[in-house]
Amino acid sequence: MIIFESIIDGIRDIRDHFGRTMLQLVGIILGAASIVATFSLSTAGKAASMEFYRVSGGIQKMWVWNKPTGKVTLNAKALASKGLTYSDALAIRRDAREIDLVAPMASQNTVVRFGRVEKTREISGVTPEYAPLTDFHAGTGRFLTDSDVASAARVVVLGSERAQEFFGTDNPVGKTLTIGDTGYAVVGVMEEKYFSFDDKRNVLRWMNRQIYIPVTTLITRRGETLEHGKIDRMQTRMKSVKRSDEAVDEVARILMREHGVKDYDVMSRVANLRRNEQNNKMYDMTFMVCGIISLLVGGIVVMNIQLASFNERVREVGTRKAVGASPAQIFFQFLSESVLVSLFGGLLGLFVGRLFTQAITSLINQPTVITMGTLINAMIFAAGTGLLFGMYPAIRASRLDPIVALRTE
Amino acid sequence: MSAIFKYEVETEAEPVAAVVPERALISLEQITKTYDSGENAVQALRGIDTGITAGEFVSIIGPSGSGKSTLMHILGCLDSPSTGRYWLDGEDVATLTSRELARIRNRKIGFVFQTFNLLPRATILKNVELPLLYAGLGRDERQERAMKALERVGLNTRHKHRPNELSGGQRQRVAIARALVNNPSLILADEPTGNLDTKTGSDIIKIFEELSHAGQTIILVTHDPAIAARTQRRIRIVDGLIDKESD
Repeated sequence: MIIFESIIDGIRDIRDHFGRTMLQLVGIILGAASIVATFSLSTAGKAASMEFYRVSGGIQKMWVWNKPTGKVTLNAKALASKGLTYSDALAIRRDAREIDLVAPMASQNTVVRFGRVEKTREISGVTPEYAPLTDFHAGTGRFLTDSDVASAARVVVLGSERAQEFFGTDNPVGKTLTIGDTGYAVVGVMEEKYFSFDDKRNVLRWMNRQIYIPVTTLITRRGETLEHGKIDRMQTRMKSVKRSDEAVDEVARILMREHGVKDYDVMSRVANLRRNEQNNKMYDMTFMVCGIISLLVGGIVVMNIQLASFNERVREVGTRKAVGASPAQIFFQFLSESVLVSLFGGLLGLFVGRLFTQAITSLINQPTVITMGTLINAMIFAAGTGLLFGMYPAIRASRLDPIVALRTE
Repeated sequence: MSAIFKYEVETEAEPVAAVVPERALISLEQITKTYDSGENAVQALRGIDTGITAGEFVSIIGPSGSGKSTLMHILGCLDSPSTGRYWLDGEDVATLTSRELARIRNRKIGFVFQTFNLLPRATILKNVELPLLYAGLGRDERQERAMKALERVGLNTRHKHRPNELSGGQRQRVAIARALVNNPSLILADEPTGNLDTKTGSDIIKIFEELSHAGQTIILVTHDPAIAARTQRRIRIVDGLIDKESD
């Protein structure tokens, strides 16, 4: 009941000294606001990353790249190694137990022509595994099949932008596209791929600009044998995220066996994710510390103003004590005032934090998400600040000698 | 009651019952108060012995620096004596902790100050309710009792006003209502007319007289002989001792 009366008193106090209260609250408001902004940024960032990983093939994805060794002294086998080949992909597909999909990829720039449209475009040689690994599927017609690869068929699948480029609004499926000087039957057009962190830029647009033919077709067209056919990279998928280190090791071991020298690099998305999480933690911590520092400063201001208000009200405290307020009752009255003021500041901070996040979104195109948990966290921090820094003024008021207080003019 | 009392005396009377006379509301025994113990010690009270009976209207008079304020603070349980015993309503309050003193002030004493000491931001009603708030009473009961107290001082129509909307005399009446609201054993008024003109001051003393007729015990501290003359008994303090008690 005393608490309730104190809250009423506190609200009256906020109203009577609105300007002063606002000053008192600046620190709390900014502190709560920066906590809101931090959490909303990092929550949204994490959600967006996870979504990006999902639409681009999941976190089980791994890559194998060519990488120059830089070594001068090499043995015969190492000297013979010419980087990743199609047979490496076959070896991994055959031997790796931690891997369930292997998609080798080679690419080459070639003149592409249909009717009067003639352009130099990048052609990618891939296998059917490419589709599940990139979560990218045919919109019309079909994607490449195992028999296309086995027979090195002259078939082509177009990204949506390329289809439009060469065929306009016509359906390209069934038509013949000239790549180099050879005709390829268009068997499919890919769905349009879209992902954006800021609702403005499609970060997967490059996928819509792809032209896919079987990797075997590309290799043989270059005049290479399949066994020594060079590829640029492989995408693979591990069976279990929990065994990601084993999967990476296994692929590396197989390649070492084939090459005799480390002229490749194996990377996994899980490792990237771990590194990102580490970075995110640092980033979160920095913002949190800023928020906490401004709350601390805010708390000190709250304490100062509470002390000033206490000095103004020494007589009032004396009167309250004379009519029978116990030290504890005075203590709670003052404490609840500073908690209330801080909660009020926290509440305003939520709105300011909302403005912050909107500003961040529009200025640097970062997505932000404000969750209930974020708001509750900010309020708890604000109230905690009031509680902590209201303690000292409340103790002083509760210990005031009523005689001294009544004598004060 | 008297039969039981006799019986107890005949067997073995309780010390409390023996020491405190039945009708004495207040009994002071060798009360001293020393400030700043050490070389600069000032002895404000040097051994006060007196008693006040329930229903009495007493004034404490004396020149400034005589120790009458100190005595008033001790009587009002705002301060504790250095030595001696203070029986209030059958309880030795000289040795109580500050929390227990707060409870005594809340339940048994009503204060009226020279400067009224109303809370400026609270309404008249809220001001009068204040002691009941700290006593832990519910809102309805607080309001009911506060309105009754305001009625006794003739201000029940002004309960929604703030103190600064009232005259000095009206403010002091609000303070009296606040002192009355918890049905105290004792009302302690410290120069209640000091900030008022003679006419208004006289009206305030009239209220105290009416309360006294209704059986309320009142102690009034004043330096004004004319006001002291209107009380039933005067206790004159000089140099920390009772100089003279007169009926």
